[in-house]
Amino acid sequence: MRPPLQRYRNILDFALSSLLRRKGRNLALISVYTLVVFVIASLVFFVQALKREAHELLAQAPDMVVQRMVAGRHDPVPLAQVEAIRNIRGVDEVQARLWGYYYDPVFGGNLTVLATEDAALAPDAIWIGQGVARSMRVKEGDLIPLRGYDGQSNLFSIQKVLPESSELVSSDLVLMAPKDVRALFHFPEGLATDLAIQAGNPRELPTIAAKIVELYPDSRPILKTEILRTYEAVFDWRGGLMVVVLGSAVLSFIIFAWDKATGLSAEERKEIGVLKSLGWESSDVLLLKFWEGTVISVTAFLTGVLLAYAHVFFFSASLFEHALKGWSVLFPRFRLIPALDGYQLTVLFFLTVLPYTAATLVPSWRAATVDPDAAMRS
Amino acid sequence: MPSTRLFLSLLLASGLAATPSKPGAGAKGPVPKGNCAVCGMVVANFPDWAAVVTFRDGSQAWFDGPKDLFTYLLDLKRYAPKRAAADITSIQVKDYYALRPTDARKAFFVLGSDIMGPMGRELVPFGTEAGARDFLKDHHGKKVLGFAEINLGTLKDLE
Repeated sequence: MRPPLQRYRNILDFALSSLLRRKGRNLALISVYTLVVFVIASLVFFVQALKREAHELLAQAPDMVVQRMVAGRHDPVPLAQVEAIRNIRGVDEVQARLWGYYYDPVFGGNLTVLATEDAALAPDAIWIGQGVARSMRVKEGDLIPLRGYDGQSNLFSIQKVLPESSELVSSDLVLMAPKDVRALFHFPEGLATDLAIQAGNPRELPTIAAKIVELYPDSRPILKTEILRTYEAVFDWRGGLMVVVLGSAVLSFIIFAWDKATGLSAEERKEIGVLKSLGWESSDVLLLKFWEGTVISVTAFLTGVLLAYAHVFFFSASLFEHALKGWSVLFPRFRLIPALDGYQLTVLFFLTVLPYTAATLVPSWRAATVDPDAAMRS
Repeated sequence: MPSTRLFLSLLLASGLAATPSKPGAGAKGPVPKGNCAVCGMVVANFPDWAAVVTFRDGSQAWFDGPKDLFTYLLDLKRYAPKRAAADITSIQVKDYYALRPTDARKAFFVLGSDIMGPMGRELVPFGTEAGARDFLKDHHGKKVLGFAEINLGTLKDLE
């Protein structure tokens, strides 16, 4: 076993020193290669992480939301519907929800105001999300004025700032007592914004939805699965848009790699000629070229993936978060939960390393089979 | 993306507005263990349909649906030669609407509906007769049967 291993070691040794001899060229190649891997890997990690986040949040969402439509627009739902819907077979629980949007002219953002029956909420107090606290520069115990429907300012004391862990959805959230929501928006008694429905058996949801529409033809049931599909589509669409933009970058990398890897300089040609005349076989030269390519690929791949990981999970993908998330002025500032997927890594590997290897294979073969005499003479 | 915003608001409401959170669907009742005593399928993959027979010595036989449960009970000699019907202390199936375990001997089963179980056509179980009747209407069932009314002929109809 020793001699063949020794041979591999020597060739690898030679490959490394030959890479080092052309430091400038190879460093340029590795940095561009790393950059491409970094950008693609960041994108893949980021879209996956966002999808995972959305899935986890939706796990707590109601199975179905029922809205009432008037002239094609979302309208408040009469509370009388709650009992009727609760009586539908298969419905576990119906909750009337009261919420709305509040436009804050000072920082030009929309807040989501939501009623909560939580007993821990003190009278005239509110709970706010991290984004609200950040943009209004307020903290627990402060008072903030919210302009009511009639132009009057309503003062609320901030009892709590919601924890960061829920920031993706709670960033622009303001929680207050139902009576305060009604007073702020002049929301009529006996109506709710929409109904949240939980079913005992999710398999029954389409049947329940059909019965609700039959009972109240002006209602629109939205299933959790539909919301999930919308999410996936939105993230995929945005991710796809980025891929198109990045496509040109990848293409230029391939051209670059092709150029760098295929263009055997006269010097290299001569070197191969010398090696072969020293007794190297074609297979040895091929092995040498293979090691050179592998060292470059693996270095670039590992560095790129590590950088992308840090970028997405430690710096919240600051380079392209504006393109991929955000539905409000109040951008959530949250850290994605780090997770790596073997499948994603494999795909990335094949997307980046394989084209490079393929691009270098044929020229290596041609170089390896060159006649030493001709190579040295040229 | 106004629609995304809307959806987010919809879902956040449930997560934060002190909605009593319920355990995930299918997670109610004891966790199914092992393979179906009749067909060998992994019962934990179909928690919504899981049925279980408990014997006097505490041992249990799990099934991936009421159909296999009855196949077992109606031919105990073949599937459990060492057991007798008298050894059985409880038989539980999952109520279709609530997905909670319910006593099979008092349950109602709907035959011929458009809802398929893990093994195709099923005897869909219900804790109440009213539930079974509603289901029969909604899902084009043919018959509501009590525990004692199910025999080998019924099972043959399901094949």
